[in-house]
Amino acid sequence: MLNVALAKGRLAESCADLFIRCGIRAEILKEETRKLVLETPDKKFRFFFVKPSDVPTYVEYGIADIGIVGKDTLLEAGADLYEMLDLKFEKCRLCLAGFPEKNSLSAPHLRVATKYVNTAKKLFLSRGEDVEIIKLNGSIELAPLTGLSDVIFDIVQSGGTLRANGLAVLEEVFDISARLVANKVSLKTKAAEILPLISEMKKYIGEQK
Amino acid sequence: MTYFKLPAGVRDILPEESARLDRIEDTLRKKFDKEGFCSVRTAGLEYYDTFTCIQSPVPQANMFKMTDKDGNLIVLRPDMTLSCARIAATKLREERARLCYFSNIYNFAAGGNSDREVAQAGVEIFGEEGAWSDAQTVAFAAECLRAVGLKNFIVDIGHVGFYKGLLEDSGLSAEAAEEIRGYINAKDVVNTEIALRRYGAGEKAQAAILALPSLFGGAEVLERARTLTENPAALAALDHLQQVYEHLCRAGAEKHVSFDLGTVKSLSYYSGMVFTGLAEGVGAPVLSGGRYDGLCAQFGRALSAVGFAIGLVRVLRAQMNGEEKN
Repeated sequence: MLNVALAKGRLAESCADLFIRCGIRAEILKEETRKLVLETPDKKFRFFFVKPSDVPTYVEYGIADIGIVGKDTLLEAGADLYEMLDLKFEKCRLCLAGFPEKNSLSAPHLRVATKYVNTAKKLFLSRGEDVEIIKLNGSIELAPLTGLSDVIFDIVQSGGTLRANGLAVLEEVFDISARLVANKVSLKTKAAEILPLISEMKKYIGEQK
Repeated sequence: MTYFKLPAGVRDILPEESARLDRIEDTLRKKFDKEGFCSVRTAGLEYYDTFTCIQSPVPQANMFKMTDKDGNLIVLRPDMTLSCARIAATKLREERARLCYFSNIYNFAAGGNSDREVAQAGVEIFGEEGAWSDAQTVAFAAECLRAVGLKNFIVDIGHVGFYKGLLEDSGLSAEAAEEIRGYINAKDVVNTEIALRRYGAGEKAQAAILALPSLFGGAEVLERARTLTENPAALAALDHLQQVYEHLCRAGAEKHVSFDLGTVKSLSYYSGMVFTGLAEGVGAPVLSGGRYDGLCAQFGRALSAVGFAIGLVRVLRAQMNGEEKN
């Protein structure tokens, strides 16, 4: 049996479609339920629903053999696992955003508000810039509005929230999409189950282009 | 009561588990004995410089550091292979030696899926070289895993020379190569491709490096890899693995063996074949090893060498997983 960690929420819906298209009896994923563990009727797959940022953890420890999670979460977690496929859905961008009229990015002491603390640290380290990183857990856009930070580092999908608050993307840093990840041991010990699934998924992604 | 707790990343092993670890150690001790290995107990404290003056230094952040009375930096030993290589090069006279150990190593930076204090059982073979020696070592590693009761496991073999060969042809700078190595090790094809294009690697080398993440599986992988490159070092690495595989087949030990040419670890002392033991249900390798021919020379005496270490707590976890299933 293959154990799959899925992120609760928006991503779960797209994942259910993907698994069904790949010939897996994953209809159970579409049912309204409060169960955290679901098995397919043929007992070939067991799905766990976890918080998105916990998907890399479940996969790194090998509790889940594979998982589906956004690249933003992977960048932030820095877990030791295999990144097998770009699934090309849930696309967005990790951006630096702020007030377009101010030259915020060149502030001598830049304050950056973000959920993605590790990713932001790595980004500014690679540029040789010393910045103050302020960890927030939600409503990141509020930080520059209230003067908590100069800019924010966050995912942007449509840009609607930014525009509604007078903010704009200052720089697109990473392209983000959903990724299929695998535990480094499971890929080898359960190759007969995982590899056919990956080639099915590849076909499906190809069709979507 | 906070002072009776333990620091993060270490734990006490209580009688029930300790007895099981003792049994695993007894089994391995008998195995090592039969193959002519002599046990050593290396010093728990060593000079910091021993692990940083070599070509493949242990990262500073990975070591528990203290200052000695005379002001020198000392560390809790971070690695047994390095200590054994130091002993073989500086304290043994023979041209050949078979050493084994049951010791803890310490990793300051560990977290996530690994502990900061790791109990290992390992063997190091000095003065034996060639494909036959490599095959014997792999076969012995598999035998040890079987002896401690693991059933569903594989020994996954790679070779550092293949990636090095491809790099020679690519014209990439050392910095670019290190960035790309990280992506390949994560089998991250998306970023590998972006980086190769950005750094402008040659076309043929690009295609070969891009294929690395998918070069794993049975012995047919070696044939597939052969079509990708004309680099002599890369081809020599494939020839070597082919020979190792043939020796393993002749010994009837090929059943638990697979190949992965995309395992390219950072700054390691390994010079040739590398391998990891993977057991179902344990998310990280239970065994890891390889050939490190250039290392002893850095401690003052050139000796060819190959060896592996078994993570005892991970073996215990694999045993318990197996029992749950039955």
